[in-house]
Amino acid sequence: MNITQLPYIKDIFAFMGSDLMAAVIGLLIIAVFVPLNVAFLVLVERKVAGHIQLRPGPMEVGPHGILQTLIDAVKLLGKEMVTPGMTDKVLFFLAPILVVVPAFVGWVPISFSPIMQIREMNVGVLLIFSFSSISILSILMAGWSSNNKYSLIGAVRAVAQNVAYEIPLLLSTMSVIIMTNTFRMSEIVNAQSSVWHILYQPVAAIIFIIATTAECNRAPFDLVEAESELVSGFHTEYTGMRFSLFFLAEYTNMVIAASMATVLFLGGWFGPFFPGLIWFVIKVYFLIFVVMWVRWTYPRLRFDQLMNFAWKVLIPIALVNLLITAIVLKVI
Amino acid sequence: MLNIKTIDDATVNQRVYQLNLGPQHPSTHGVMHLLVTLDGEVVIKIEPIIGYSHRGHEKMAENRIYEQFLPNPARMDYLSGMIFNHGYCMAVEKLCGIEVPRRAEYIRVITSELNRIASHFIGAMDYAMGLGAITPFLWGWDDREQILDLLEGIAGSRLTYSYGRFGGVRNDIDQAFYNGTRRFIDRLRGRFWDYENLINQNIIFIKRSKGVGVISKEDALTYGVTGPSLRGSGVKYDVRKNEPYSAYPEFNFEIPTREAGDCLARYQVRMAEIEQSLNIIEQALDHLPPGPVRSKVPRFVTPPEGECYLTFESARGAVGFYIVSDGSRIPYRIKVRAPSFSNLFAMTKICPGHFLADVIAIFGSIDVTVPEIDR
Amino acid sequence: MPTAGQKKLLEELKNSLTQAVPEGQVEDSDYTRTGCHLEVRLDQGGMRRVAKVMLDKRFYLETITAVDFIDHFELVYLYSTYYQDVFRVITRIRIAKDATPFSVSAIYPGAIWLEREVYDFFGIRFQEHPDLKRIINPDDADYFPLLKNFGKTKFTEEIDDILC
Repeated sequence: MNITQLPYIKDIFAFMGSDLMAAVIGLLIIAVFVPLNVAFLVLVERKVAGHIQLRPGPMEVGPHGILQTLIDAVKLLGKEMVTPGMTDKVLFFLAPILVVVPAFVGWVPISFSPIMQIREMNVGVLLIFSFSSISILSILMAGWSSNNKYSLIGAVRAVAQNVAYEIPLLLSTMSVIIMTNTFRMSEIVNAQSSVWHILYQPVAAIIFIIATTAECNRAPFDLVEAESELVSGFHTEYTGMRFSLFFLAEYTNMVIAASMATVLFLGGWFGPFFPGLIWFVIKVYFLIFVVMWVRWTYPRLRFDQLMNFAWKVLIPIALVNLLITAIVLKVI
Repeated sequence: MLNIKTIDDATVNQRVYQLNLGPQHPSTHGVMHLLVTLDGEVVIKIEPIIGYSHRGHEKMAENRIYEQFLPNPARMDYLSGMIFNHGYCMAVEKLCGIEVPRRAEYIRVITSELNRIASHFIGAMDYAMGLGAITPFLWGWDDREQILDLLEGIAGSRLTYSYGRFGGVRNDIDQAFYNGTRRFIDRLRGRFWDYENLINQNIIFIKRSKGVGVISKEDALTYGVTGPSLRGSGVKYDVRKNEPYSAYPEFNFEIPTREAGDCLARYQVRMAEIEQSLNIIEQALDHLPPGPVRSKVPRFVTPPEGECYLTFESARGAVGFYIVSDGSRIPYRIKVRAPSFSNLFAMTKICPGHFLADVIAIFGSIDVTVPEIDR
Repeated sequence: MPTAGQKKLLEELKNSLTQAVPEGQVEDSDYTRTGCHLEVRLDQGGMRRVAKVMLDKRFYLETITAVDFIDHFELVYLYSTYYQDVFRVITRIRIAKDATPFSVSAIYPGAIWLEREVYDFFGIRFQEHPDLKRIINPDDADYFPLLKNFGKTKFTEEIDDILC
C-alpha cells in the first residue's frame, strides 16, 4: 500500500506537490546514507592504507574489522565536547555545523541514474561549486575561533589553497560545459552516451581530479591538516562529535567530488551489463580508491610548491585547454 | 629557500609570532620543544629547548661501580643502544687495558651494524614521515622489526641492550642468529628496489628535500657536526675508518658521502650506509673466527688512576666516552659526547629562512634522539 | 700508529700551540692509553688562543666538559679533525672554583651549547658568552648536579660497604 495514498497524507502531498516530496525523501536518504557511507569509507581508507603499508589494518571488531568504524563513531558520540578557554564560542560552535551543509546539499543535483536524482536544476553544476565554498568559510571560522596558532595557520592555508584551486577546477569544468551547452547534470551525462568526455578532454579530467583533491584537502595537498607540522591543523581543538562532523564533511566532499568527476568525465551511469546506478557507484568508488592510493604513496607538498603548482602549472594549462576547446567547437 | 628580508624592529613586533613545536608534537621524535619565531610561515629564529627527558646518566655514573653502569649507555640513545653498549665496554677496556677475543670483536661488529641498520631505517623513514609520507615509515618499521627479532634472540631485549661485557660479549651467537642474519641480508637486498621506487624516485619527495637545509662544510666544522649529517655535506669522516676500533680495520667497506649537504643528501647517505653495513655483516659472518667470546676479567674491574677518551661511530655520529678514574671501583667522572647535541645545535644555524614545513624536514633529516641529547 | 706525514703535522701543531700558549705545557700523549695525541695543560686562561690555533688547523670542537676535583675544576676541551686519521688534542685547564673563564663561542659557535651545559652542571660562568643560561636542568634549579658535593646518595655508601 502506498503511503502517499492514505487519507490526509494524500491531501498533504497533493497540497505540497511532488517536488517537495522528492526533496523530503531525498534528504532522508541522504541523511541515512552520508554517515553510513563515511563509516564505510573510513574503513576502506584504513584497509587500503593497511595493505599498502604491509599490515592488515583493523582486524578486531567484527570479521576483518568491518565494524571498527561504527564502534569508533559510537565512541566519538560519547565523548565530551571540550570548548577550550579564550575561544570565540559562537564561531567555534557554528563551524562544525556549517561544514556539513555543503556535504548534504551537494547531493541534491547529482544524477545517479536516469531516474535517481533528487532535483534536476538548470544550474546543478554551479550549485555544487557555490555550496562547496561554504566549507572553506567554516574551516576559516574553526581555525580563527580556536585560539590556537596551529589552527590559524591551517585555516589561512586552507583559504589560500581553495582560492587557488577553485580556478583550475572551474576552468576544467567549463571545457565540458562548452561541449554540452548545459549545466544540467543529467544532460551532461546524456551527452556522453556514446563517448565519455574523458576521451575528448583528458587534460581537463586530470586537472579536475587534481584540483578536487586539493579542494577536499586530501594528501598530497592536505596542508590544512598537515599532521607532521600543524598537529591536525584547523580542527586541532575539536573533540568528540564536533571533530567527527569535520571528518564526515571531508569524506562526503570526497564522494561528491568523485561523483562530479564521474558525471563530467566518466560518462555517469553509462556502461554495459549492469544497471546505471551500479556503474555510477563503481566509477565513484574507483576514483576514491585512486585518491586514497595517491595519499598513501606521496609525501605532502610544501606550501609554496602547492601555490606554484596551482598558479604556474594548472591554471595556464586549464586556460589553454579551454581556449582550444572553444576554438575547436565554436569557430571551426 | 628564501632570503630573510632585513626588517626593522617595529615591523618585527607587528608581524612576527612565536610557535611552540612541542614538547608534545607528532614530529619531535620524543619530548622536545622547538620554539620557532615565524614571519608568516617563514622561520626567523629557532630555539630548541631540551632537557625534558634528562635522567642524569652522568651523575648516576658517579654513584655506581663500572658494572652497574653497564645498562645505562643503551638508554641514552635507545635507537642505537647496542652501539652505545659496546662503546662503553670498549672505553672501560681501554682504561683497564683488557684484551678482547677476536670472536667477540666480530660479534660486536655484527650486532653493532645490525643496530645501525635498524637506527638508519628509523632515521631515514622518519624523515619521510616528516614530509607526510607515512607508508615508507611503516615499510622501514617492518624491516627493522626483523633486526629487533634477531637481536632479541641473542641479547634478550629488543631496544635497550646490555649485551656487551667488559672483555667480550655476554654469550656466543647461535645458529639461529647466524641463519636469521643471512636470511635478513638477502631479504633486505631484495627490498632496496621497493624503496628506490617508493621514495627515491618520488617527485614530491625530491622536490621537498633538494636544496633544503644545507649544512656547509664550514658550519659543520665550527658546530662539530658528525655522522651522516656531516657526510651528507661531503666530508669523508667516519670514526670507523678514521679512528678504527674493534675489528673494523679488517673489513672492506666504503664511507658514502654526498656533496650537496641538503636533506636529500643526508637521506641518501643513510640509505647508502645501510648497504655498506650489510657488506660488513656479510664479511664478518663469512670470516667469523672461532674461540671464546669473553676474556678472563675480574668480577669487578678496578681501573688504574687516569683517564681515557674513546670515540665510536653511532648511527648519529661520533660518540665519545670520557672516563676519569681515581683508581677506585666507582668512576670519578663519565662524560658522554652526544652527537645529536651538536647536530641539533647546528640546526639553529641552518633553519632561518626556511618554511615551517622545512623545519620538520630538517629536523627529521638530522635524525636526533632526544634522550641522547638530554642524557 | 701515526704515519710520517702525521708525525710532521703533529710537530707543526705542537709548535703552533707552544707559540700560542707559551705559559702552558704541550706534551705528547699516549694514544693507546688515553685516546689523545697531544695534551695541552694550562692554568687559568688561554682557551681562546688554543681554540684559534685549532680552528686554523681545521679541527672541530668535539666537546667541552669539566671535572670537579673538590678544590679546583678542570676544564677539558677536546679537539679532533675530519681531515686526518686519528688526531685528537686535549686541552686541560685548571681553574679555581670561583673562576670565570672566557668563552670560546666567538671562535666555535658550537661551543655555545657546550658551555651552557658546563654552566648548567658545574656552575662555571663563562665570560662573554652570548646566552649563558641553563640548558638541560630546569631554569629555576638552584643546584649544580655534577658537583661532587651534590647528591652523594646513601646508595653509594652502601656500595662502598658491600664491595670494599
